[in-house]
Amino acid sequence: MITKLLVAIVIGTLGYGVTVQPVLAQTGAIQHEETEHAPPYDPWEPFNQGMFTFNLQLDKYALRPVATGYAWLLPDAARRSVGRFFKNLGVVERFANNLFQAKFPGAGQEVGRFVLNTTLGGVGFFDVADIWFDMKESPEDFGQTLAVYGVSSGPYLVLPFFGPSTVRDTVGLAVDSAMNPMNYFLSTLQVFAISGGLTVGSAINYRSLNLQFFEDVDRYAVDLYGAVQDGYLQRREKDIQE
Amino acid sequence: MAPCKTAISNGERKISKNDDRKEGKVVTRLRSLLRKVTCVSVLAWSLSAWAADSPLELIRSTTERSMAVLQDPANQGADHHQARIDKVREILLPQFDSLEIAKRTLGPYWRERTEEQKKEFTDLFTRLVEKTYSGTLDRYNPDVKFFFDQERIEEDFAEVDTRILDPAQNKTFSVSYRLHRVGGKWLIYDIVAENVSLVRNYRNQFNRILSKSSYEDLVQTIQSKLKELSAPSSAASSASSSASSS
Repeated sequence: MITKLLVAIVIGTLGYGVTVQPVLAQTGAIQHEETEHAPPYDPWEPFNQGMFTFNLQLDKYALRPVATGYAWLLPDAARRSVGRFFKNLGVVERFANNLFQAKFPGAGQEVGRFVLNTTLGGVGFFDVADIWFDMKESPEDFGQTLAVYGVSSGPYLVLPFFGPSTVRDTVGLAVDSAMNPMNYFLSTLQVFAISGGLTVGSAINYRSLNLQFFEDVDRYAVDLYGAVQDGYLQRREKDIQE
Repeated sequence: MAPCKTAISNGERKISKNDDRKEGKVVTRLRSLLRKVTCVSVLAWSLSAWAADSPLELIRSTTERSMAVLQDPANQGADHHQARIDKVREILLPQFDSLEIAKRTLGPYWRERTEEQKKEFTDLFTRLVEKTYSGTLDRYNPDVKFFFDQERIEEDFAEVDTRILDPAQNKTFSVSYRLHRVGGKWLIYDIVAENVSLVRNYRNQFNRILSKSSYEDLVQTIQSKLKELSAPSSAASSASSSASSS
């Protein structure tokens, strides 16, 4: 517990100490060169292929059937609400990473959103901060923070259960979960059980809201591994730019 | 403004030559009317010319024309499924630069192709894209709203940002179109859906196959995909069975 706290403090001070060079949003440039993007760096492809297949099987036999049943039980609007509830819980990571990236208005928005949505929005089930106060979310994670400080993505990495990632984003995921305030109040085992349960719940909920999307990707992709890999990397590039 | 002025002065000269004072008032009114008509028509003409040239207007009109086909009661129902797809294809296809798209999806491997292969691949990929959108056309929701937000033009390249609001999901999707100008006409060569460039996504898929196997293998993979997609999509069971059998 103490080590986690230390890690959080060190990272916090690093975030404050280092001169901040925010990445400029590229609004003007139109990307039209076909050779602009080198193929993804994937030296661990055999391992990744194995994990990808494992995740697909996990999805086919566990996640998708459960999500389909859950979608049948609960209407769309209710499941979107559940999604907002899960998202609301991630406020500490988002707040911290906004600070690390010197996005002070974003950090403020996140605090404001959490306070409003937890109270008026019924523990986060409703995004009243957006609807009534026009406070938009500012989703930043530690993978993006590292990217802003010039850390390159490293090899592509498919994680079991979590899906596509990179070495940088995997480190980001670990740091973000270490930031969870539960770590300072509960035992490691308790944290593991609770965050594990929340992750599974949020995965089922997310999957249930994207049944059609997953089916489409599977149906129309010529090479599914390549489609998912590039989809992940392109979205991350855009997240980092923003 | 220049064409407007010359039109007026020409008119003034011609009319005032064969004119006497009695008819002066009528002529003045006629003249001002003529002036207005000329001005308005010149303005309207230049506006429409500008509109046709604007990538954003092209995307807007193409979207609206496609939606009109889908909303037309004459095109509704399962009986008109193929007719509906054909009509939308007629609207969409001329707006796309199929050759450029095929070239970009092959990336560095395009140059290694013979002219015949380039043509073959362009046809094949165009069919794949057609199959993809025709599969989603049937799920079209008439309540969907389109927002044509902005266009950016840099010489012969342009990007048009749009959003699609699906009230059923209460969700907005971003869709950007990348166009380039060929012989004075803007043509689409990429669509960026929710920050994912489709051309780049296909390029990654194709390049993976090409780097491990051969062009022939890629063609075969796409062909079997097309066959799979041609199977009736309504029955999920038949689609999955054909997928497992192939």
